[in-house]
Amino acid sequence: MWPLARLAAGAFSSPDAFLKVLAAGRYRTSLVNSLALSTAAAFVSVALAIVPAWVFARERFPGRDLVRTAVSLPLTFSGVLVGFLVIVMLGRIGAVPKLAGLLTGRELFAGSAFTLAGLFLAYLYFEIPRAVMTLEAAFRHFPLELDAAARSLGAGPIARLLHVTLPYAAPALFSTLAVTFSASMGSFGVALVLARRFTVAPLEIYTELTAFLNDAVAGALCIALAALTFGVDRLFARRSA
Amino acid sequence: MSLPISPRRVARTAGIAVAVALAVGLVAPLVVTAAGAFVHADWYGQRSEGAAAGGALGLFRYVLGLWSGALVTSLRLVGTVVPLALLIGTPAAFAFRRRPFPGSGSLETLAMTPLAIPGIALAVGLLLGAGRAPRFGLLVAGHLAYTLPLVLKTVSNALEREGADLERVARSLGAGPWKTAAWVTLPRLVPGLVLSALLVFAVSWGEFNVSFLLATPIVQTFPAALYLTYTTNSFPVAAAATLIFLAPIVPAFLAIQALGGEEFRRGLSV
Repeated sequence: MWPLARLAAGAFSSPDAFLKVLAAGRYRTSLVNSLALSTAAAFVSVALAIVPAWVFARERFPGRDLVRTAVSLPLTFSGVLVGFLVIVMLGRIGAVPKLAGLLTGRELFAGSAFTLAGLFLAYLYFEIPRAVMTLEAAFRHFPLELDAAARSLGAGPIARLLHVTLPYAAPALFSTLAVTFSASMGSFGVALVLARRFTVAPLEIYTELTAFLNDAVAGALCIALAALTFGVDRLFARRSA
Repeated sequence: MSLPISPRRVARTAGIAVAVALAVGLVAPLVVTAAGAFVHADWYGQRSEGAAAGGALGLFRYVLGLWSGALVTSLRLVGTVVPLALLIGTPAAFAFRRRPFPGSGSLETLAMTPLAIPGIALAVGLLLGAGRAPRFGLLVAGHLAYTLPLVLKTVSNALEREGADLERVARSLGAGPWKTAAWVTLPRLVPGLVLSALLVFAVSWGEFNVSFLLATPIVQTFPAALYLTYTTNSFPVAAAATLIFLAPIVPAFLAIQALGGEEFRRGLSV
């Protein structure tokens, strides 16, 4: 708790730093970028996680444990490692451009790791395992009777997913959004490795702190980032109760 | 009339296919990286710095030599944080669950806050709060802030699952509070404590934000060294360093999953 108190004290002892953070283009842009990127990554990763989470929670098939482990493994990767993996695939001499070069003769996507799309993919890379694991835990408690009742009334699998499962799972979806969103907002390692012309708040905090030795602005940015994260997190969490 | 292929089977097969495709997509970069550490360095069109050491094993020996200081720091850090987190977290969880006192609820909420705030904010707060005196103790404090909530949660869950009945029986048979704790409560907490230790180990080994911001050229953890490797060394060296980083944390993670450690669902802070 002490670090937080120190952050707050620092920020309030120099309110002009706070104003600068909210008014000056660069800092505000980084906060807005973080917010937009994290929200988009949360929604896309949750959308992509629904089917695998459902399969892991409900279906038994040969190799299930192996596939499930492979999907959850990135939970153990710290941010810089994820950034590195994206460079390995999409860097200037990454695996995807090389493969595309072999197949089509043109090295497609070379260097796209360092674009906004590359950063977004990196966010998805670490968010999807979180989303799948969180949703799977929720889907496991799904009452099978509801599904069976709907089927006996003649509903097909897609109708059951849309009208029975999803409404029932909505709270879990919102709490998963909260989990993934919060993780993205604080994500620093990925941006440190990948961001070039694009900045996010954690990266900006780091630059202020180490390059400009501007403790007051870094502290104020931290408070703003924490407040934003907490606010949106509550917004999602309220719907998950 | 029944369809030759039921919609249910089609949906099931499609779902499994999506899950498998996702798994392949997530693992592919790792496979390329692993290959990078073992394939001959000349394959990349240039002589790698570590290639002179000869073969894949030579490459690993080169990386271990390059970052031995950071590896030792990380091992020391983990060796300090794991016992400390258990020694502080277990009695605290016991107090919160079994002997609530005025204010213990808010104290528990307070202890859980590090999980709710962005990792970078915690790291900066720690750095500013302690002045610019980066040292080993500060790293330990930062890692404890992250890992104590995990211990509290895991041990609390174990305490709630076990219930207090046996403890009450022991007390009614004349055992004192210390004797009860040592002979009744603790033995039944062992699985929870093992799980806690694994969680703390995995988080502490992989933690980057605090480690990197507090790093000096002398006191530097392995994840911080990993970043330096990514920005300065060649691909085979970076790939080998990545595999060395993953070598302890992946088995720990598999053990956590086998023990049903839901607490790691959120993974490392990124």
